[in-house]
Amino acid sequence: MNISKDLKELVEANVISEDIAGNIQAFYNKKENTSPNKLFIVFGILGALLVGLGIILILAHNWDNLSRLTKTVIAFIPLVIGQLLCGFTLLKKNNNTTWIESSSVFLFFGVGASISLISQIYNIPGNITSFTITWMLLCLPLVYLMKSNSIGFLYIIGITFYACKIGYWTYPHVETYVYWLLLLLILPNYYLLYKKSPKSNFLVFYNWLIPLSIIISLGTVATYFEEIMFAAYLSILGVYYLIGNSNYFKAQKLRNNSFLVLGSLGTIGVLLSLSFSWYWDDLLNIQFQYNGFKPYAEIIVTSIFSIIAFILLLKQFRKEFIKKSTLIEFVFILFIILFLIGLKTSFPVIIINLLVFLIGILTIREGARKNHLGILNYGLLIITALVICRFFDTDLSFIIRGLLFISVGVGFFITNYWMLKKRKSNEK
Amino acid sequence: MKNKKLLFTLFIAVVIAQLFVPFKMILSKEDTLKTGTPYKFITAPIDPTDPFRGKFIVLSFIENEFNIEDEKEWKRNEIIFVLLQNNKDGFATIKSIVKEKPAETSNDFIEAKVDRVYATEKNKRILIQYPFERYYMEEFKAKDAENTYRESQRDNMNKTYALVYVKNGEAVLKDVLINGKPIKQIVEENSATNK
Repeated sequence: MNISKDLKELVEANVISEDIAGNIQAFYNKKENTSPNKLFIVFGILGALLVGLGIILILAHNWDNLSRLTKTVIAFIPLVIGQLLCGFTLLKKNNNTTWIESSSVFLFFGVGASISLISQIYNIPGNITSFTITWMLLCLPLVYLMKSNSIGFLYIIGITFYACKIGYWTYPHVETYVYWLLLLLILPNYYLLYKKSPKSNFLVFYNWLIPLSIIISLGTVATYFEEIMFAAYLSILGVYYLIGNSNYFKAQKLRNNSFLVLGSLGTIGVLLSLSFSWYWDDLLNIQFQYNGFKPYAEIIVTSIFSIIAFILLLKQFRKEFIKKSTLIEFVFILFIILFLIGLKTSFPVIIINLLVFLIGILTIREGARKNHLGILNYGLLIITALVICRFFDTDLSFIIRGLLFISVGVGFFITNYWMLKKRKSNEK
Repeated sequence: MKNKKLLFTLFIAVVIAQLFVPFKMILSKEDTLKTGTPYKFITAPIDPTDPFRGKFIVLSFIENEFNIEDEKEWKRNEIIFVLLQNNKDGFATIKSIVKEKPAETSNDFIEAKVDRVYATEKNKRILIQYPFERYYMEEFKAKDAENTYRESQRDNMNKTYALVYVKNGEAVLKDVLINGKPIKQIVEENSATNK
């Protein structure tokens, strides 16, 4: 580490004493020894990933000249090698993250390769959903036995693919809740990791993958009453935003605070799509009262998520909280009220537009208060996005649209200029 | 130490499970190939716009529909059992279709799916999706095989069929043959003469 050079310079300049320099040096030496080499782990995982995928591709060539028996034996080779590597790791290298992660990833692809090759050898057309589930369930125990987190990530990607395949890409639509059960099976590992090493990079990956997977898969529960899913989405995004505002996450860098980023961006995105009148026109046309009110899955899911969001909101609720609020954490409640009004009239579309505008303004204010150019411009971007959305509504005259664009553009200049000027005067 | 032993025992259990799944697939397929009854399914010309998909050829069959009485009884993607018989030329035809799994000894049958339900005033039928519609080929030969298969379909004199072994509902596609010659062999011969 270069620090020894700097320390020497500091000692020579009499900034720190030699004792302190020695202590600092000792501290960094110790830290270096205990932390595993991150780069090594990353390359280990990537290497195993590439080799595993490469083997699948080579075997997929489907060598005609080999007999059925030979092909079958070959199909087992990557699987058995992966198992031997994992067994060796478990017995001899169970403290070495690089060994754990790379042997597990290799075995993961070994399992997939053997199943898909057997399908190929026997001309099984193969149902990709059952294949994915079998593959994931056969590898899930490795997460807990090998304590491998990369298998956890691959597992989440796999079950999300499964949910999409069965929920969005299959016709006719089939109801399935297997995804949620599969997701529950990985959560204990997520929790254990959080308890054991809250600062690990693996946790950051989990923090991104799990909420993303839930957002992607949430839409699969909608079958009868899709309009209410907007409430479900806003509730879950509200939950994310509130989690992102908890003390643990607030102490993190923004790029590691996946919950805050997803919650905020997601809420704005959903609100922008609600700012068009089509949704509210659809809502007016709903005749769900004719089917009678049944406990549809989407209603149950919406209720669960909004109750969770509400509890989190109450927990974080303080006086100063309101002062600093950018309203995003209240959007889910507001929307549920607007949704109920929207069943009778399409008036809420105006409130949604005002709400987005207000969130934009409050975000700009927050940016100014924190002297943070990023937040300030995020607020401006929200308003710009709103203006662009209104640009597509043909009923506004060109003059009004033009004026709107000019005023937002001028707003960008003025606020940024003002902020930079304020910074300069502070420095003086 | 005790903890490590338990962990390793569990790991061995997982290893066995991981080996068991592909083994099970092989065993049932091998059993069908060894002790099942072979049936010859005449293939139908395929849609020429259907793009070549990866490293297998897509087969479709003449015997893929069956007349029904009430279209409301059948649903898309529903699992059905197709009872088979041979016609006088020795090719497979559908005897009947049932929803419940027939008794093992009664008749050869295949587990399949309802692909689509057609219903007009006079004509009510279901299309069947067989579990052997893909024939995997070696990567570089698959394109030639697809062409050979298509050409043979154009010529009415040719009899192209899939050799399928059937046992207790399970079907294994062993080979695709044109006039009794395996398609792999034809492709190899063609590429040899072209050279």
